Amino acid sequence: MTSTDTSSPAPSAAPSQRKLSTAKAMVEAVAAEMARDPNVFVMGEDIGAYGGIFSSTTGLLDTFGPERVMDTPISETAFIGAAVGAAVEGLRPVVELMFVDFFGVCMDQIYNHMAKIHFESGGNVTVPMVLTTAVGGGYSDGAQHSQCLWGTFAHLPGMKVVVPSNPHDAKGLMTAAIRDDNPVVYMFHKGLLGLPWMARNPRAVGPVPEEDYEVPIGRADIVRPGRDVSVVTLSLSVHHALDVADELSGHGVECEVVDLRALVPLDTDTILESVGRTGRLLVVDEDYLSFGLSGEVIARVVERDPGLLHAPARRVAVPDVPIPYARSLEYAVLPTRSRIRDAVLELVDA
Amino acid sequence: MTDVPFPEVSQRDPDAEGVLATWFVADGERVAEGDLLAEVAVDKVAMEILSPAAGVIHLLATEGDVVRQGVAVARLS
Repeated sequence: MTSTDTSSPAPSAAPSQRKLSTAKAMVEAVAAEMARDPNVFVMGEDIGAYGGIFSSTTGLLDTFGPERVMDTPISETAFIGAAVGAAVEGLRPVVELMFVDFFGVCMDQIYNHMAKIHFESGGNVTVPMVLTTAVGGGYSDGAQHSQCLWGTFAHLPGMKVVVPSNPHDAKGLMTAAIRDDNPVVYMFHKGLLGLPWMARNPRAVGPVPEEDYEVPIGRADIVRPGRDVSVVTLSLSVHHALDVADELSGHGVECEVVDLRALVPLDTDTILESVGRTGRLLVVDEDYLSFGLSGEVIARVVERDPGLLHAPARRVAVPDVPIPYARSLEYAVLPTRSRIRDAVLELVDA
Repeated sequence: MTDVPFPEVSQRDPDAEGVLATWFVADGERVAEGDLLAEVAVDKVAMEILSPAAGVIHLLATEGDVVRQGVAVARLS
C-alpha cells in the first residue's frame, strides 16, 4: 500500500534514493497512516498550527484539519487521559508529550491506565495508542529538558518502548507503532531530527523509502559488524559509537555496533549473538547509569551465558546526577565519543 | 536551465538573509518537479525549497552558507 503524499511524476532516469530528515520521516509515517485509517488522529501541545516544537507534526493540520490534529491545553494529565479514553473506544491516537521530562505530571494516566487497561480487562480491551515524546540532551537545555528516561518507561510492564536512531527507522517504527494494538512509547532524540536550529548530525538526514513499511518492534539492528567489541546502544549514541568504530578501525580494533531500536521488547537474541562473536560487551546509554538499560543488557547476557564474556562488561552512561546546564559540565556526563573510545580501548586491552 | 532561488523570507527587507541548512539531494542528482531539495533556516523558522522543475541539479551553495533571498542556490539543467 502506498499512500504517501508525493504526487510529483517519477523521474525517468534511475531513481536516486530520496532523503529525508528524521522529523520529516516521522511526519510522513503519521500522514500515511492517517490517510489509510480514519481512526488515527494526533493530539498534543503545539502540534497543530506550530507543527510540533521539534517539527514532528509539521503540515498535518493543513492536510487533515483540526478535528484530527488537535492542539491541547498545557495539561498532560487531561490530554493523555483523553487519548487513553479514545483508544479504549477504538480510535488510534498519536499523542505527544512535548518533553519526556514532563512525564511526572501525567504518569498516572500513562502507567496506571494506558499500560494496565489491557491487563486489568483480562485482555478484553486494547489501548492502541502511540505516546510520542522528545528525549535527550547536548544543547544546554538543563536538567528538566535533557533526560532520556527510556529505562523508566521500559521498567513498567504494559508498554512497548521504541527509540529510532535514523530517518529510515523513524518512519518504519512509527508505522509499526500506530498499527500495533498495544500502547507504544515512541521516544525521539532531539539531536537526531535534522532540525536546522539544532547541532547538526549528518546522519539525521538519510534515505527513506517513499512507500510505507514497518520496522518490526523488538528487533535490533547490527549497524556495523566487527569482531572485537560489541557496542550495544541506541538513539543518538549509535552515531557516536559508529564514529568511534570508524576511528578505531584504523588502529586495528573492530567494533560491532548494535542499535537496539527498542527497549520493550528487548532483542536479547541479537545481543547474545553479537557478544558470542566478540566476547566483549560495552553498553552505551544516554539514560542514567543505575537501575536502567545498561545494567539490564548485561544481566540478560550474564544470566543466559556468563561464559560469553572474555572481559568484564563495561558501561558508558550518564552518572547518577541531573544533566547540567553548563555546556562543559553537560558534556562531562553525556556518553561522548571520547568516553566511548576510552571504554573500548580498556576492553580490548583487558 | 532553471535557477532555484533562496526563498523570500522578508517582503520589507530585500536584503534579508537566511542559512542553507540542509540539502536533501546531492550534486548531479536527477530530480522531479516538486521534490524536496533543501531546507533553509531564518532565525528558528525553517522553510523548504521544492524543485521548480525536473532536471539534473547543480548545487551552488553548501550547507551552512548564509544566502540573500532571491539568490540562486542551485541550477537545474
